[in-house]
Amino acid sequence: MDVGDNNDAGSQNRNECVMNCPSSGMNTKVSGMSLNSMSMYKSSSGADHFFGSGWDPVVSLSHGENFGVSSMVSHCQFATSPYAVVMENQGISSTSNLAQYSSDPSFVELVPKIPGFGSGNFSEMVSSFGLPETAHITSSGCSPNFTPSKESGNKRNSANVAQSFEDHQISEEAAIGTSTNGKARKRTPESSSPSNPEKNGDKEHQNDPSGESLGIVKEQDEKKPKMEQSIGANSRGKQAAKQAKDSSNSAEAPKEYIHVRAKRGQATNSHSLAERVRREKISERMRLLQELVPGCNKITGKAVMLDEIINYVQSLQQQVEFLSMKLATVNPELNIDIERILSKDFLHSRSGGAAIFGFSSGMNSSQPYSHGIVQGTVPSIPTANPQFPPLHQSMLDPELQSLFQMGLESGSAVDSLGSHGPSKSEL
Amino acid sequence: MNPKTCHHLSSNPSSVKSKFTRRHYLYGKVKIAADKSLALAVGSRRAWTRALLWKIHYKARRQRSRFNTKKRLKEKKKKNKKKSDEEVGFFHANELRKLVPGGQAMDLCSLLDETAHYIKCLTTQVQVMKSIDQIYSL
Repeated sequence: MDVGDNNDAGSQNRNECVMNCPSSGMNTKVSGMSLNSMSMYKSSSGADHFFGSGWDPVVSLSHGENFGVSSMVSHCQFATSPYAVVMENQGISSTSNLAQYSSDPSFVELVPKIPGFGSGNFSEMVSSFGLPETAHITSSGCSPNFTPSKESGNKRNSANVAQSFEDHQISEEAAIGTSTNGKARKRTPESSSPSNPEKNGDKEHQNDPSGESLGIVKEQDEKKPKMEQSIGANSRGKQAAKQAKDSSNSAEAPKEYIHVRAKRGQATNSHSLAERVRREKISERMRLLQELVPGCNKITGKAVMLDEIINYVQSLQQQVEFLSMKLATVNPELNIDIERILSKDFLHSRSGGAAIFGFSSGMNSSQPYSHGIVQGTVPSIPTANPQFPPLHQSMLDPELQSLFQMGLESGSAVDSLGSHGPSKSEL
Repeated sequence: MNPKTCHHLSSNPSSVKSKFTRRHYLYGKVKIAADKSLALAVGSRRAWTRALLWKIHYKARRQRSRFNTKKRLKEKKKKNKKKSDEEVGFFHANELRKLVPGGQAMDLCSLLDETAHYIKCLTTQVQVMKSIDQIYSL
């Protein structure tokens, strides 16, 4: 597998980098890098923890050390590979990864901004692949590194976006990057200019403990409120114009809590500030959802959007049910094989072979709704039949097989027993 | 078969499902297997996967201990009453809470987050199952 080879190459590269790049290489790059790590963490956690297993090590890598663009490349492939192994559809995983990337424009800023670094935490990454705790530890450790040059980091990011995309070797990400590059460029000037409102915050400090100091989320929201404030400002029309005039590009104070500044012309009550943050979070999530649900780009308004989301989730669930019905009727042998796999440890003594054969022949000849299987035969069906040939095991790809077995063996053996009926002496 | 099932699904999925489950034991098994494999593949990092796994486990446990059907209905009614009291946020969100596993106990913000992740995983599951179906229909 190409991805596997790249993984090995990437891991070797990273191991070498560990030797070459000691952890003492903390310089001004760290500010941008830590910014990236936080945004990356935000993108991984906010957008998709499903891929988080691949991205958590990225956060751990970024904690003290430097990345390499090459390591980023290999890491992205690394990230996709376990997902592919899990779901056995690399096309889907790559497209979903693309969806993740495109849904998070801030990610564009940080993808290129990973200069040649090594990683002291690589062994940690390898060992604790996918553990959220590493992400927690690293992101909490990132806070002392976070220097006040966030804004300069942003500007540097936007400058580097253009450069490093040429250098970037991932075709997919480069394609997305160039497509969302315009978006990122547009947003960075927005974020840098109005992100520093005038009303200085005694209020902001009051707002910090008022419910927003969520442990890990601190780091990931440090960039978020800035972006959200900028977006919120732009969406508020008149106020945005005022802010563009009045706000100066002062440096952001280092944030450990979520500092929310009251914008000009808005209430500075701590309650309303918290409300605003909450509303902006919700709107941010709604935007992500809008990108996920197909055909919802034109819809504005939470109510309509929610309806669309509900319809989409319902349709997806119905699709799953329909497909499972189809699989259950069309391929009874598969299911019985699964049962055999599941119950081989438990039901050696059961004698269900005759029932299984009768059931399968009945299933093959009938249609779903006119089927007249009596419930009485049901309990004895899923018992293990060691004589039953492993029909489709060879047909299944190994990953699909592992998918079934992983899902079914670990614990659903209990389910199969549970749904069997009276004869369960083992339990 | 396809148009028939599609029609039924669109009109009243729950009744179709219950009829089908009674007659086809394996449908329920496949559905459970699919849900469980999806939830396990993602892992316990997400609230909805934990809720889904817990639901499957709980149902299995209930079936095993063979409750009365009357008792089950009573419990369901109680649960429904409780849920209606805990409305938080948009009134639209209640529908969503019913759909997303574990959505009852979440605030709106994390509900939206979980919904996004759930949508992604559902689409993937649909694609996987379609490909499995294709393999077996050959």
